[in-house]
Amino acid sequence: MYNDAFEEDDLVAEVELVAQARYSRNADLEDGFNDEVVVNQQPAAVQIPDGVRNFISFFYRNVLENNVYELHNVYDTSFNKLTDKYYTKQPWPEAELIAPLVNNDEVFLTLYRELYYRHIYGRLTPTLEHRFRSYENYCDLFNYILNSEGPVNLELPNQWLWDIIDEFIYQFQSFSNYRDRLKNKSEEEIALLRDNPQIWSTYSVLNVLYSFIQKSRINEQLLVSKKGGDMMEAAGEYGARPLYKNLGYFSIIGLLRVNCLMGDFVLALKMMDNVVLNKKALFARVTACHVTAYYYVGFAYMMMRRYADAIKAFSNVLSFLQRTKPYHSRSYQSEQLARKSDQMYALLAMCIALCPTRLDENIHSQLREKYGEHISKMQKGVEGIPIFEELFQHACPKFISASGRLDGTPRADPYQTYMKIFVTDIQNQIKLPTLRSFMKLYTTMGVDKLAKFLEMDPEELKMQLLVFKQKSRQIKWVSGDLLDGEYLPTSDLDFCLKQDVVHIAESKVGRRYADWFLRNINRCEDIVASLEQRA
Amino acid sequence: MAASVERPQTIQTMIDGVERYNPENTEVLEEYLAGQCKNGEYDLVANLVLLKLYQFNPQLSKVPVIVNVLAKSLTAIPKPDYNLCMYLLTDYVDVDEVKRLTHLQQLLEQSRYAEFWSTLEKDKELVKDIVGFEDAIRQVIAHVVSMSYQTIAASVLESYLALKGDAFKQYCEKQEWQLSGSTVSIPINKDNEAKTVVVRENIKFEQFTKVIGHSNEM
Repeated sequence: MYNDAFEEDDLVAEVELVAQARYSRNADLEDGFNDEVVVNQQPAAVQIPDGVRNFISFFYRNVLENNVYELHNVYDTSFNKLTDKYYTKQPWPEAELIAPLVNNDEVFLTLYRELYYRHIYGRLTPTLEHRFRSYENYCDLFNYILNSEGPVNLELPNQWLWDIIDEFIYQFQSFSNYRDRLKNKSEEEIALLRDNPQIWSTYSVLNVLYSFIQKSRINEQLLVSKKGGDMMEAAGEYGARPLYKNLGYFSIIGLLRVNCLMGDFVLALKMMDNVVLNKKALFARVTACHVTAYYYVGFAYMMMRRYADAIKAFSNVLSFLQRTKPYHSRSYQSEQLARKSDQMYALLAMCIALCPTRLDENIHSQLREKYGEHISKMQKGVEGIPIFEELFQHACPKFISASGRLDGTPRADPYQTYMKIFVTDIQNQIKLPTLRSFMKLYTTMGVDKLAKFLEMDPEELKMQLLVFKQKSRQIKWVSGDLLDGEYLPTSDLDFCLKQDVVHIAESKVGRRYADWFLRNINRCEDIVASLEQRA
Repeated sequence: MAASVERPQTIQTMIDGVERYNPENTEVLEEYLAGQCKNGEYDLVANLVLLKLYQFNPQLSKVPVIVNVLAKSLTAIPKPDYNLCMYLLTDYVDVDEVKRLTHLQQLLEQSRYAEFWSTLEKDKELVKDIVGFEDAIRQVIAHVVSMSYQTIAASVLESYLALKGDAFKQYCEKQEWQLSGSTVSIPINKDNEAKTVVVRENIKFEQFTKVIGHSNEM
């Protein structure tokens, strides 16, 4: 899961590795828990607490029976309860140790290992060995699902399927960042990395995601559900099964994310071509997936300067989260959801500062509470730039470089570049809010006079006006795919220049009668009803 | 995102699906870019695919090609194409040519047109492969000017476009701008009108049928 403090943890892991006399494949047997097992030649099951043993048998039975309903509880609740009880500071028992309990069923053990490594990434520190082994485990799992003769007879809860894709990408992200920080690594480590370029390589990760999409024919299925047609034919043998369909669908969201992480925002949005972004979409069934999709869509829009569209995306998902708050505050993912939600508020704050728009009341009040001060500072001119930098740093995803470079040449951190481009853009428009506030007060004004008010050179002001004109128009989504849009005005203020005189026009929102009347009709009804009751 | 050119089917196949990642397509895309430079056409998506291949296969990347992609994207301002290309070029930010092009981009974004032309004088070799680069940029500037001005002093416009005398007059004629004495009038379009607009809600009767039906029952 999301353990954003892995830089520190990596240092610990590196120290650990260096401290070991010889790098051996038995490294993880030195874990205190398993020492007893090695000494005691008895079946290792003896050292596993009873509760855990029962849990594993129960778990195994349900996987065999494809009992998705029970599995959901097992996966969502029981596993985490037992983790909190026994395994907060150490890994779960190795797959080999519990194998006797499950008849050495390879498929189950692969699934178990997925949880095992996810636990290590989430609560402990993965070593290079763990990273390699986890990658191989994913390869085993995906090979089984994709390359067996015919579709496999396995059903897993949607939450787990999403988490598999999500964690797979997370570990890839973690590995890329790890690989790019070569300074403190030992020669052996660097050699290992160099000898195994295919492990956690970008191509292999993309290959997995694209394979799921192709096998499940999810794009064809989505097209059919949008435009009509024969769903069974579109789905094919694999796509008709929920396991494949869901993995294909989640892989689309996964590709949205991976492309954003590598800076290809156009392709990221293109991936979502057939996905309709609304409440009824498939991704809405898994909250984490829902949130991830909107976060990356909004972020991609923001980096493409489509602030109005970004604002819409963020508002959408934030109001969804607010409405469903009581339902996910109990789940083990509530922490991550809260963090993602906060990041989206930060991004929303930046977009609102750049493109002031009316927001839904609830979102607006939440935003004011969290970032009200930030927003007013961001609109005050040059002093707002550090605020933009702070919020960007807080809310941006952890970018990665697509290809590794192991020869030790220094490399620009992609995050720095994105930050720089973003901030440069901001600097070009930082004086605009002040300009706007002055222009709102007048209908006509000479350029020289306005320049004096703003304490600017008139030539400078003319350039700012041209910039203002350009920034007040964006590509805005009207219909069609996410990348479509028309070049439309997004500001409520417009102007034109006649020689040296600025003519200003403001667009006003007329009184909204319908809403007012409807609300009062309801109130009137309530009053009448309560009067009738008393009578 | 539509291209300004009819994209040939061969290129379209390279963009769709997993063919994007095939490094063997690099040469074809480079040739396509060279074609764009010669013919004044522009295809952002194809160029982004090429940059992505460079991202994944740094050993295939060529700085002159990158320079051409970036120079081409300058002609799309105010669209954010230049930034979109830079996002895929994180390893080349400190390359000298890229830095100089970024400086030119900033001058255009900040509407510092006079300074842009004087800086371009020194950097002419960066854009030598792009046929008609200066005219394309003039088009960008003319677009911004016609969005913002109804009348503008001729001398100011001359400095924005780096044109004088007859060349300037011809340009105004081509844009259908009226040059009278020392002022240029730009015909009214939807962007330079500055009309107050009142956004009124547009409710259709059908949306109220439920409410009216309900009131009927009371």
